[in-house]
Amino acid sequence: MTTSDAGHVPVEQKAGQQPPTLPSADRRALLRYMLLMRATEERALSLYQQGKVPGSFYDGRGQEATAVGPAFALGPRDRVCILHRDLGAHFVRGVTPARVLAQMMGREGGVTGGKDANMHFADRRLGCVQMVSMLPDMALVACGLAIAFQMRRQNRVAMTWFGDGATANGQWHEAMNVAGIRRLPVVFVLENNQWAYSTPNELEFAVDPVERAAAYGFPGEKVDGNDVEAVFHAAAAACERARSGGGPTLIEADTMRMHGHGAHDDMRYVPKEMFEEWEARDPVRRYEERLAGDGVDVESVRASVSEELDRATEWALDQPMPDTSVATAGVFAETDPELGDGEAPWSRWREEHA
Amino acid sequence: MPQMGVSIAEATVVEWKKQPGDQVKADEPLLEISTDKAESELPAPVSGRLAQVTVEAGETVDVGTVLATIETTAPAEERSAAGQDPSGPTAAKQPARAAEEHPGTGGNGGVPPVTPVVRRMAEQHRLDLSQIEGSGRRGRVTKKDVMAYMRGQGEPDVPPERQPALHMESPYREEAPSAPAPELAEPAQPGGRELSVMRKRIAEHMLRSLRTAAHCTTIVEADMSRIEAARGRRSYLPYVARATIDALREHPGLNATLDGELLTVHEQVHLGIAVSLGDEGLIVPVIRNAHELSHEGLAARIEDVAQRARKKQLSPDELSGGTFTITNPGAFGAVLATPIINQPQIAILDLEAVVKRPVVVTDAEGRDSIAVRPMAYLCMSWDHRALDGALAARFLATLRRLVEGWSA
Amino acid sequence: MPELTYLQAISEGLREEMRADDSVFCLGEDIGAFGGAFKVTEGFIDEFGAERVWDTPLAENAIIGTAVGAAVEGLRPVCEMQFADFISCGFDQLVNVAAKLHYRQGLSVPITLRLPSGGGFSGGPFHSQNPEAWFLQAPGLKVVAPSTAEDAKGLIAAAIRDPNPVVFMEHKHLYRRAKGEVREGRYETPLGEARLARAGEDLTVITYGAMVLTALEATEDLDGASIEVLDLRTLYPYDREAVLGSVRKASKVVVVQEATRSCGVAAEIAALIAEEAFDDLDGPVVRVTAPDVPIPFSPPLERAVLPQVEDVREACRELLAY
Repeated sequence: MTTSDAGHVPVEQKAGQQPPTLPSADRRALLRYMLLMRATEERALSLYQQGKVPGSFYDGRGQEATAVGPAFALGPRDRVCILHRDLGAHFVRGVTPARVLAQMMGREGGVTGGKDANMHFADRRLGCVQMVSMLPDMALVACGLAIAFQMRRQNRVAMTWFGDGATANGQWHEAMNVAGIRRLPVVFVLENNQWAYSTPNELEFAVDPVERAAAYGFPGEKVDGNDVEAVFHAAAAACERARSGGGPTLIEADTMRMHGHGAHDDMRYVPKEMFEEWEARDPVRRYEERLAGDGVDVESVRASVSEELDRATEWALDQPMPDTSVATAGVFAETDPELGDGEAPWSRWREEHA
Repeated sequence: MPQMGVSIAEATVVEWKKQPGDQVKADEPLLEISTDKAESELPAPVSGRLAQVTVEAGETVDVGTVLATIETTAPAEERSAAGQDPSGPTAAKQPARAAEEHPGTGGNGGVPPVTPVVRRMAEQHRLDLSQIEGSGRRGRVTKKDVMAYMRGQGEPDVPPERQPALHMESPYREEAPSAPAPELAEPAQPGGRELSVMRKRIAEHMLRSLRTAAHCTTIVEADMSRIEAARGRRSYLPYVARATIDALREHPGLNATLDGELLTVHEQVHLGIAVSLGDEGLIVPVIRNAHELSHEGLAARIEDVAQRARKKQLSPDELSGGTFTITNPGAFGAVLATPIINQPQIAILDLEAVVKRPVVVTDAEGRDSIAVRPMAYLCMSWDHRALDGALAARFLATLRRLVEGWSA
Repeated sequence: MPELTYLQAISEGLREEMRADDSVFCLGEDIGAFGGAFKVTEGFIDEFGAERVWDTPLAENAIIGTAVGAAVEGLRPVCEMQFADFISCGFDQLVNVAAKLHYRQGLSVPITLRLPSGGGFSGGPFHSQNPEAWFLQAPGLKVVAPSTAEDAKGLIAAAIRDPNPVVFMEHKHLYRRAKGEVREGRYETPLGEARLARAGEDLTVITYGAMVLTALEATEDLDGASIEVLDLRTLYPYDREAVLGSVRKASKVVVVQEATRSCGVAAEIAALIAEEAFDDLDGPVVRVTAPDVPIPFSPPLERAVLPQVEDVREACRELLAY
């Protein structure tokens, strides 16, 4: 594939295309996952403000579509390295809000049982590899997963997320380079949420990252990161390309981080107009309106999410703090790694593998 | 009298091998003692003259009682009489030598240091270092010097390894799986196979429990319908476990351990869950502070300890400290059992298989009819030393009520 | 039994594992067509193909990071840093991703990292380092350092089979200098087990890597004294029982490392001895190490810095006379 037809696809052009329509059940599912992410993060923030969450708290408010859309395009045997503003991706793979809330509070029953903080968790039984704080280290790990698929001649995909700031780091370039050289079956989801902590894009890079994919030898595609179906379709196409030996894709999803870098950050460096502009494009509300317009019972989805969160909160608050013996346990492994398969709710996948 | 095991409180002197007035050497067998676990020989802790025997053969005394007195060799007495420390006389020699070798060296006035190993050997063998020629720098008495001296004195050549703790010093021993007592070892039979270490340990524990406790078993039958409705794909065990904890709250006397005649009722519930290791045996990991867990929390913990038990990843403190045990062999379909109590607890609950049975149900108007219900026998073995049948029955009635009335 | 050099032994061990298990593969710079900077993987690309002998771009974080991803999916990557010194370019993936993943997530990371280390041939500051102490400060890593050809083969096999990240310190100066009989076929030298290079009673030298040869030479014939030499072989988790047993026997200890002085393996061993074998000591615990300087290039300067046979002899003599 030459770099000229690789080229990134601007948002305007995308609107003219006709991606396949998702069946109603899938659209409901997409909404449900986004609502679950929003509700869980709101509940967790409340717990944090009540003093029940130690350390820092990070959320991805406003980025629900970029978290859920790409994950929805995966199959059960695909593998993911999910990042801190992509809680929705964990839900798509099968993690429950109850275990997430317990995780935030550092309790037993949380995904890491107190070993790691906030969004630094992943369930290996669902095919997820846990993030580290140094970014974008997971981009290279995703390449490694893809190398395993390639060496074994399997049509599986590795997917990971990173932000605009991470593209400044040497490891991002090493990952892009290795992915391009070997045409790895990896999908890179770049969530450009306009801010790396307090650093805006113009201080982070001189060239829009999506354009740099061509320099590494593969396509870059820009999408409206607040349109869950658009992100989903871009990711589905990228997965398809990867599966058929077409190599990697960089998807740049344009979105906005509506809360601070962490709960402690009041975002005073963000111009007010920017908030207003992006609030009007809130991905969850937009999708609710669109589905309601198409006759979907959005209220019942909301109600079911609300009820699940209440149950989850009750369960999580019931969990004890971990036993101190956990602190020195598990430094070394006794057995080889066991990475399981995740849930894959996308209906076509179910059809194909019924 | 040394402590020959954590649970041993007394022992009997069987026979003295030396008489008062005899010379004894360190480590030479001095007397034979007996406990209800085993017979042992006790060696003399030091060399010297056996001055006095204070416990005669045939007498049983508590651990810690003085058995005899040994007078050690003269230099110690002279030394203590003179009130000097071992390096005293040496110090008198040293300043001159030190001054020769290191004029102007300050420090401790030219007295060479006594290194840790030399000090330890001197204490252990009651040696006066001033009597020993030092070949080290500044006339320091080295380890080799001490060893040569002892050889010269006709002392047995002490190997340089640290001496094992003397029997008098009663080291603490954990109740971890250990080698079986000799009397349990089976002589090899043609075609027979010796029991594995795990089986021997289980055998020893079970026999001991039967010997110690006055076992009785009381059984109730419980209608598991409510739990059946709630459990989905989960097993019954976490629900019954949660109900058991609640029942123990109402009847705290059953959450207790009995050690001889000392009954301790515990506030916390540390719940032992019997885990089968297949043909190899079984193990009972303890879920500490189980009372703080919901049935979901218990389900998670049970699953976790069971998995780790099978992978032999349990730590020693996960295998002790339980206050009540539940065993659930019901998966195999058996309906009744009389379990053996897990010492030193006073009761053990056995959840047997859940079987659909026709039962008589009475409606609000008092009319009887037959209905099909999932029923299970809850069998509890309990120690009649600590409680009577009435309490056992009341506890089980409460447990049955909680199980039959289950709501999350 | 055939006699192999240390380098041939590593090569053979690696080759045997690659033949026995096709999930084992190698990655590193210039290891394929060129056979590796030190020829450890000479001929491998012909036997195993370019996929299993991957000539990577010049990107150490990429080498280690992709190895982690492949390993958690069931492959067994053997990474090579061209020189141990370049681990600093891949340090982040090693200590933050590989080392901590099992602790945090229960996911094993069976990677092996080969580090050609050590000086003695005018390599200068960036080609002569012994950075093993850095890895002792990153819980989750195992570290081995063979000194003989037999152990080199057995330890590379054991490192590959271990489900944890294992850093394999292969001392460059031993590649051709260390030779010995090496068992044929596959075998593993257990991790965590030291080896008695020579038994003795008057004093023990505890050491590893190239310094084992230096220690043996220095104490062969030292004023008639009986001197024990204990080869640690595994630096983490190291064989505490062997160390303490040796100290109990001899009561005088010299710990030798080629690495620079502060906070190295020798400091750790000395602290252990002070804490747990205090009552067995008949003299202070002495360390022989390089001073805290970058390793210089010019031969007389390098010799002045790296511990020589005479340095070890002198230290032993001093302590024997204490």
